[in-house]
Amino acid sequence: MGTLRLQPARLAGLSPRAVSRAWTVFDIQLAVYATALVVIGLLMAFTNSGDDPLEAGSLFTRGLMWLAIAIMVFTVAAAFDYRWARTFVWLVYLIDIGFLVMTLAIGTGVGGTSRWVTLGPLQFQFSEMAKVLTALTIAAWLAHRQTRIDGFGTILGAAVIVAPPLGLVLIQPDLGTSLVLGAILFGALFMSGASLRWLAAGIVMVLAAFPVVWTSVLKDYQKERLISFLDPAADAQGAGYQLIQSQAAVSSGGLFGRGLTNGQQGAAYLPVQSTDFVFSRVGEELGFLGGALVLVLFALLLWRVLTIGWRCRDPFGLAFAGGVAGMLLFQLLVNVGMVLGVMPITGIPLPFITHGGASLISTALALGLLESIAMRQGKPSG
Amino acid sequence: MSVNTDRPLLDPNAGTVTPRQLWRRFLVFGIAIVLVVAGLGLRLFQLQVAEADRFQALAVQRRQGTAAVPVTRGLIYDRKGRQLVENVPVFVVRMVPGEIPYEQRDAVVERLATLLDMDRLRIYQIMDQVMGSSFEPLTIARGVSTQVARVIAEEHLGLPGISVEVEARRRYRYGKLVSHILGWTGRVTPEEHGRLASEGYLASDTIGKAGVELTFERQLRGTYGLDEVQRDAAGRVTSTLRTLREPVAGDSIELTIDLEIQREAQKALEWGMRAAKLQRGVFLVMNPQNGEILAMVSLPAYDNNEFARGVTTQRYRKLARDPNRPLINLAISEQLPPGSTYKLITGIGALQDRKILPSTRIRTAGHIMVAGTRMNDWHSYGWGHIDIYGGFAHSSDTFFYQVALRLGVDRLAYWAHEFGFGRKTGVDLPGETVGTVPTHAWKRSITNPPQPVYPGETAQAGIGQGYDMVTPLQLINAYSALANGGTLYRPQLVRRIRDTNGEVIRTIKPEVIRKLPIDASLLKVMRVASRHVLTSRHTLNFVDMPVVVAGKSGTAEYGVRDSKGRLPFHSWFVGFVPREARKKAGDPNGYKAVQRTDSELVFLAFAHDSRTRGNAAIEISKYFIQLHYGVKKDYRNPELMIKGNFYGQ
Repeated sequence: MGTLRLQPARLAGLSPRAVSRAWTVFDIQLAVYATALVVIGLLMAFTNSGDDPLEAGSLFTRGLMWLAIAIMVFTVAAAFDYRWARTFVWLVYLIDIGFLVMTLAIGTGVGGTSRWVTLGPLQFQFSEMAKVLTALTIAAWLAHRQTRIDGFGTILGAAVIVAPPLGLVLIQPDLGTSLVLGAILFGALFMSGASLRWLAAGIVMVLAAFPVVWTSVLKDYQKERLISFLDPAADAQGAGYQLIQSQAAVSSGGLFGRGLTNGQQGAAYLPVQSTDFVFSRVGEELGFLGGALVLVLFALLLWRVLTIGWRCRDPFGLAFAGGVAGMLLFQLLVNVGMVLGVMPITGIPLPFITHGGASLISTALALGLLESIAMRQGKPSG
Repeated sequence: MSVNTDRPLLDPNAGTVTPRQLWRRFLVFGIAIVLVVAGLGLRLFQLQVAEADRFQALAVQRRQGTAAVPVTRGLIYDRKGRQLVENVPVFVVRMVPGEIPYEQRDAVVERLATLLDMDRLRIYQIMDQVMGSSFEPLTIARGVSTQVARVIAEEHLGLPGISVEVEARRRYRYGKLVSHILGWTGRVTPEEHGRLASEGYLASDTIGKAGVELTFERQLRGTYGLDEVQRDAAGRVTSTLRTLREPVAGDSIELTIDLEIQREAQKALEWGMRAAKLQRGVFLVMNPQNGEILAMVSLPAYDNNEFARGVTTQRYRKLARDPNRPLINLAISEQLPPGSTYKLITGIGALQDRKILPSTRIRTAGHIMVAGTRMNDWHSYGWGHIDIYGGFAHSSDTFFYQVALRLGVDRLAYWAHEFGFGRKTGVDLPGETVGTVPTHAWKRSITNPPQPVYPGETAQAGIGQGYDMVTPLQLINAYSALANGGTLYRPQLVRRIRDTNGEVIRTIKPEVIRKLPIDASLLKVMRVASRHVLTSRHTLNFVDMPVVVAGKSGTAEYGVRDSKGRLPFHSWFVGFVPREARKKAGDPNGYKAVQRTDSELVFLAFAHDSRTRGNAAIEISKYFIQLHYGVKKDYRNPELMIKGNFYGQ
């Protein structure tokens, strides 16, 4: 990946004075929107926890624990001078690949897949972490290529960087996360000012490769899910089942919802609704108003992410913000779209809302780094 | 938020992208966000407010549904009423993933893996295959031992969502003896299920995969009942509302096979294969009066019980890759050169086309020249001028080269087609192949530039070599038509279908493919000529047996010459026995007996790649005749079964 030089962040940036000054430009809006989304996510964990949400080990108590860890990660990441991540980007990349290789080696998952690594009592999906680490690596590359940002080499290099993590995720197999990696790549390239012509050419190439992927890479169940999206009624008991049930559940919420813990439709019919289909529970219990609130909060949050990237005047920060924005927007579109029956089932979590420690922590890490960028704006790295 | 676009975002001297361009990108990204959120919001509105009723109705439909009521599969009997297959109960371990609490799932799978001695991942794989309701039961293991079944049943508190059920499995009483005929049943594949779900097949169903289990699947399976049921919110059946379709148990089928004759055929063939060190062989017995197959042995065979139990991929691959192809029914699925047995077609065609008369004499020799090419007889000198009786009896190649050339390849093909070659016989088994009957048109279609059949090739076709390819079943069926006086029947394996009470509900009548347009007198000539094959001692001591047999032997060369220039060869014998099988004092040579068309037994022996000193198929045939007719004296010549080419040396 070219010559990624060691670029020391200035140690002066770590002085107590500099840190205290930095906190004064802390982006409050970003934190507020994120907190609101997390609260909705926790409400969903509460309502999904069954009879006794306060029992140890329930979705809700586990959610609280993950939230505590996520807040720590967020705070540390915000305090940390993000430019160190650029300095030690090769280490970041190594950890990224390491996580994914480890997942393949010792991971477990439903049905012969390896997605989770079990750590004591907890399961952790390191591919979630890999999304943020990959975004950092791409951002460092784009910052390095700043002088030749609109060349073909920029896109090629970024694609080469993203290929190993993407391939490792794909063979887990986790189609959803590998698509998210693609969205991160696109977001970062687009916001950094990469050549639109080359970008379009790259997308055309990926689309051209689709038939090959369809026949040789996708597993049968993945194809089934993708096909069932086109006509869920054709196989109402099989793959189309979740789609119909999820739409019906959302639909039963009406304008105001049934109220927390009153959801029935989803509880009975949707086997995995605590994870990927959680938005159907939001729609059922909080109604159209609740669902719309979630969408609006996402829009505001994304806007803040872009603003931070715009303001920081640092190509590394800009590219990272672009990657994170691409990731969040893509996950929002695909996950909520899936629940509402307008996108195929791909198993992509909804950030903040989906119960999953890894998703929450990686989102916290991404937002923490964005805060770090916001607080240090105007200081180009390197 | 205010953005000053005059201020350089990046060092303007370093980059090639102007801030104005980047600003446009922010705008585009912002619009994308708005579009995504607005689009999802609109869909949300449609679902929850505008068209809420329609979408909720989708889900309510789930509450009533249908459930299948499986029935037992019909049985299979031989023609004497011997039961060949039974349904035995086996324990099946099922899992309803939706009933396993999430946090217990790993523990349950772990315990199950230990009890069933399965790989943990395999169980997860089964769980992940099903996309529908997690309350749909999945089959984890079949054929579980009684002890394990008992342990699982007793541990049901520690194994939520796991149940042990009893299911019927096929047990084939005679295994390899009739496996090529019966075939086997196995689990429905996802593809089959997709195709047959509308016919009531369940994802966990079994289906006939080979043999009559496959061809008579519809009758054997019966009709699963269908109940309209009430389901609870979780999709479990709570009550039966009404019966939509009554279950009807599968019908039983009665084969034309006589297990006794099948055993005799198998014993004779197994002896021959042992004695001559053969890898593959076929023995067929038919009743020429109606086309019923009395015995069909193709060796090597496989044990269909192994398949009914659920064969492992490894084992299946091993069988499928075995060079002797135990999974293939050689009698119907292999195309083989017929050799001299095909001279029947050349002879009868020429007689009917008046190219020769029964009295026409043709000069035979060690070789003749055809279009400048030397074509050898198997015999070094020939027999001088001989007629059709002599030509057929001695199996003179030079005689039939000339007859074939008089007939021409297209007329030869016409007669071959009349006798059923180059067409499927229509036997009730899957996997039949058609063979090859060369014609000018056929040759032109496979050659580039198109070429006609050359005279040398026509001559070869006249003696069952060259392009000629047949299946053993086609060949025995052609000789059946000879034996019965000119009627070509569809060979059949199933004669009756009975319901569960044993009442015959359908008799499968003999089916005439065609009456051959051949004079009865000419067929009689060929039957007598077939008897001459034995009386001339071309087949050595076969004629000494007390049973009258008429037929034709064949030695069919194929493949590649060895270092001494010899070709490997298959041995054939196909013959028939008159109704009055025993020799009569008034008819010592049996000529009168074979003139009649009352034969009730034709048989065919085929020895693949025999390379024996004598014709291995004749020795096998003799042994079968001894076993079937209770001939005490042993006429076999074991020294003829020793390896060694009887032509060349």
